[in-house]
Amino acid sequence: MKFILNYIRKETWSPYVAGVLLGLVGIATVWISDSLLGASGAFENLAGLLGKAVAPKLFDNMYFNFIMPPGITYGVMMFVGTFFGGMIGALTSGTLMWGKKGAANSDAQWKRIFGPQVWKRWALAFIGAIILEYAAGIAGGCTSGLAISGGMLLAPAAFLFIMGMFASGIITALVIYRKNY
Amino acid sequence: MTNFVVALFVGVFFGFSLNKAGLTKYNKIVNVFRFTDMAVLQFMMTALVVAMSGLYALRGLGLIEFPAIPATYIVGNIVGGLIFGVGMALTGY
Repeated sequence: MKFILNYIRKETWSPYVAGVLLGLVGIATVWISDSLLGASGAFENLAGLLGKAVAPKLFDNMYFNFIMPPGITYGVMMFVGTFFGGMIGALTSGTLMWGKKGAANSDAQWKRIFGPQVWKRWALAFIGAIILEYAAGIAGGCTSGLAISGGMLLAPAAFLFIMGMFASGIITALVIYRKNY
Repeated sequence: MTNFVVALFVGVFFGFSLNKAGLTKYNKIVNVFRFTDMAVLQFMMTALVVAMSGLYALRGLGLIEFPAIPATYIVGNIVGGLIFGVGMALTGY
């Protein structure tokens, strides 16, 4: 018992242990609620909700009417849960950076490569996130929604996606890090 | 309504496992593309193997039915993946 509690307090688990936990969560999701894990769809549901309220004409199209209907969906709830789950994880290991000094740009490796400016970190994260969400829309899911959830059902789409993701990720990292790669 | 509560709990465990694997950190995500830290792959593949064997065993026993499997559009999946990788290496998401 003591051992388990101590393990929960550790900042980083063995990825194998964490992976087993996620695998069990994936099974539970399918078993209990007959749906899949996912993170990127929630943003589109919320964007649709916002868009329909602000500019109903613009959002009255195939995509937002049928493919990604707006509203508080299952995915949105899961997204909220994921946010707090991550926080709980950080709390148990005492590494929660909320409100602490340097929380806006805390990664040592990032600072070494790009410099200490906070705006740079946030600007790149913003642009990168737009790219991510757009790509997830094209592919039909993100790392969790397509690669992991699809992969555990042995969907070919998931493995095509993983292939593409790593191919371009490695190239992008090469371009960004150049000499430091 | 119960479904929403379930979703919330699933999300909590999902976020918790991501955090404990270190996937909420920029360096973990980027370093897998630099081949210096393979935690992302170890985590993802372990999750896949566990879930895959569990789900197919449960279906074999007739306890569950699979939800709609993500559709395969060969071009869409690959192009989406290619663009996604760029964003992933940029943000460390």
